[in-house]
Amino acid sequence: MSTVDVAVDVAVVGAGPAGLAAAAEAAAFGLSVAIVDDNPRPGGQYYRHPPPAFRPAAAAPADKERRRREAAFAVLAHPEVKYLPNATAWNLPEPGVLAIAAGERSGRLAARAIVVAAGAHDRPAAFPGWTLPGVVSAGGMQNLFKSQLIVPGTRAVVAGNGPLLFLIASNLVRAGLRVEALVEAAPIGVRLPAALPLLAWSPRLLGAALSYRAALSRARANVLAGWSVTEAHGNGAVEGVTVAPIDGNGRVDASRARRFACDLLVTGFGLVPSVELPRLAGAVLDYDRRRGGWTVRRDRNLETTVPGLYVVGDGACIGGVDLAEVEGRIAAAAIADRLGPQPGARARRADLLARRARQDRFRRGIELLFAPPGDFLALLTPETVVCRCEDVTFAELEACRAEGAAGAAAIKARTRMTMGRCQGRYCAPTLAQFLARAGGVDVAAVPMPRPRAPARPVVLGDLAHEAIAPPVLPDDPHLPRAPRA
Amino acid sequence: MSEAGGPLPTRADVVVVGAGIIGLCTALHLARRGRSVAVLERGEPWGESSGANAGTLSLQVKRAEVLALTRRAIALWTEMQEGLGIACGFARIGGLRVATSERECAALRRVQAELAAHGVETEWHEGAALHALAPWLGPGVRAATLCDWDSMSNPLLVGHGLVAAVRRSGAAVIANAPVCAIEPAGDAWRVGAAGGAVAAGAVVIAAGAWSGALTAMLDVALPLAADVNMLTITEPAPALIDRIVTHVGGILSLKQYPNGTCMIGGGWQGRGDVRSGRREIEHENLVHNLRIAAQVVPALAHLRMVRSWAGFEGVAADALPVFGRLPGRTGIYINACARGGYSQGPALGEQMAELIAAGRTSLDMRPFDPSRFVN
Repeated sequence: MSTVDVAVDVAVVGAGPAGLAAAAEAAAFGLSVAIVDDNPRPGGQYYRHPPPAFRPAAAAPADKERRRREAAFAVLAHPEVKYLPNATAWNLPEPGVLAIAAGERSGRLAARAIVVAAGAHDRPAAFPGWTLPGVVSAGGMQNLFKSQLIVPGTRAVVAGNGPLLFLIASNLVRAGLRVEALVEAAPIGVRLPAALPLLAWSPRLLGAALSYRAALSRARANVLAGWSVTEAHGNGAVEGVTVAPIDGNGRVDASRARRFACDLLVTGFGLVPSVELPRLAGAVLDYDRRRGGWTVRRDRNLETTVPGLYVVGDGACIGGVDLAEVEGRIAAAAIADRLGPQPGARARRADLLARRARQDRFRRGIELLFAPPGDFLALLTPETVVCRCEDVTFAELEACRAEGAAGAAAIKARTRMTMGRCQGRYCAPTLAQFLARAGGVDVAAVPMPRPRAPARPVVLGDLAHEAIAPPVLPDDPHLPRAPRA
Repeated sequence: MSEAGGPLPTRADVVVVGAGIIGLCTALHLARRGRSVAVLERGEPWGESSGANAGTLSLQVKRAEVLALTRRAIALWTEMQEGLGIACGFARIGGLRVATSERECAALRRVQAELAAHGVETEWHEGAALHALAPWLGPGVRAATLCDWDSMSNPLLVGHGLVAAVRRSGAAVIANAPVCAIEPAGDAWRVGAAGGAVAAGAVVIAAGAWSGALTAMLDVALPLAADVNMLTITEPAPALIDRIVTHVGGILSLKQYPNGTCMIGGGWQGRGDVRSGRREIEHENLVHNLRIAAQVVPALAHLRMVRSWAGFEGVAADALPVFGRLPGRTGIYINACARGGYSQGPALGEQMAELIAAGRTSLDMRPFDPSRFVN
């Protein structure tokens, strides 16, 4: 079956909390919906869960979480909702049309409005030893834990920056691991009094956060705030980790370093919105480090600067699951109102916007608490790998700078950094920070590389299934040109 | 390559406008002949067509008119890598030009005969012998001609090495210096650019697709346009494709780099406009291009594409190089818009240096004289 010529009212990219909420809201307004998701099963990262064949284990989500997930998934059974798993939206051939790579189902999806809910990916920070086996990213850890119930170690250190670390550490405790330390770079203890009034706007999430903290205390884990991982040690696999205090300018005080033995180091330095599709569409982005770096500019309805293109959830700017769900609904209600007009859409949207405003206060509290201290470039040593796909070390970056070739194009050409399989997803933030420092400018002044299709790598053979007009073969470019009409 | 390369000099024997393959090679050969040279680049050196192209150096896809020039260029490519020590990723691995239908086979026969008439011998392979020679070709490939001149290079490496070599030779390469005026100043020329002006006895316009805007400053209109070529690179794969692959109709160019990535291009056009600098993929053309690639080399169907992009290529109405003195403008030269000019660049640079320094060229460059377009 080809998805070509499938035309719907709303195309939703991503079947995580934001995408599912957008689909549910749109379907409730009577709109036809297609959800395109590159995962084999729905839920995105937040609702990732074990396959049905897995028996419930001690580490399985609690009933409350499962009920929430099942409620979110209900939309998939809606008769007006078409769900396409294992499908990658990789290009926008024209406004309102997505090119989908999905094996034999590859094709095009035309929609009156597109909602991108593509989520986010880990922001890695490079430090000596970060590529050792046993060093796992926060997102990768959540993925293993949620979908496979795997915890790849027995003694863990969780380190980096951001609220996700507390959740992961408490999950590890729950799974029976010894958590040696949670190492948070932001001095959250000092900031807590200022953040608390904002955090109090979501008693549910604040309660959850306190329960994570309490679980760590009960497990006698060291909780170090204002400290950073500086090195992972090990011969063939991680065996220990050195941590040290880090100040507000990202300077590390090695004289007070401590070392913990571990066989699992989970690191996360926040999340980066996956903005590839909005960029391909030509949407304007703004730099906001607190919300993940490059974020998508949107109006009140969460419509981007490209008419008909909406971006919601962490794929626009990092805000967490509750905000993502309400954003999905706001965009869908706005679309319903625009395509309708629909009775009730306007009132519904106003109600959702008020909900979003409340959740936004909690989010601002979290941001206040976890704002990163500096750019983490101080962790790099000459041997540290800064680009895993192309195996580029920090020394090679410094060599480019020493030779005066410190522009993005020159560094790419010489080192191939950002040109590997990850399409720059995991190294571009590090390169941007390096370029900012080399040029003495703010990282917001470092231009992003030109957006390029595919939004995600896609298998070439999939393109054979896209039903398009037979080719009009171009003339041999070496031949004289036909005179212009 | 991002460094500015110092301030504008106040004077030079020759100003070269454009730091792509042709401008840089022109500067290199002029400097070797003792001329002081300033290369003015509107953006980053190697930042446009030369940096965005596929790096294919194919002789057998070229028209009869440029065969001698291209052969000379491939010799110079070899010399650049081996003699000048510029790491170019140059490899003379030979190329297969494929035909996939009876009609295409007939066309390929005609091409082979024409090449032979101009002294370029290619080997005809078909059927089992072809698939023994290149087992990675798909069953739909009926025949191919093997040309042992066909080569490849890595444009990313060439740019860095060539800019460095030009600077070592004594020429200045100035980035972010868009030329805003070319005016007579006594018996010389004054080239105004961002940051000042350079007085020069000779000016070479080597600005590729942007050359028309420069000749317009001198009130000379040339029929120059721009192609918008598209390229795609795959993830790395085990070594497989050991030749340059081209197509008799010009609809495919394909190669595998030593790092395993495969580069796919052809004559399929993207969308773009030189004046605004905007260029983008044309989706259907890209899909057709990649489908043909996967038909010619089926193993590609299993690889992921990582990146596609579009780049401009300046091209004259007759798709031949525009090389020589600009008519009626003594001291102004043009060296631009050769279709497939990346492969010919080293020879175009060498010939231009000969023309300026000695008043004549060792190759017959008359067919490329810009006077063919004037009056």
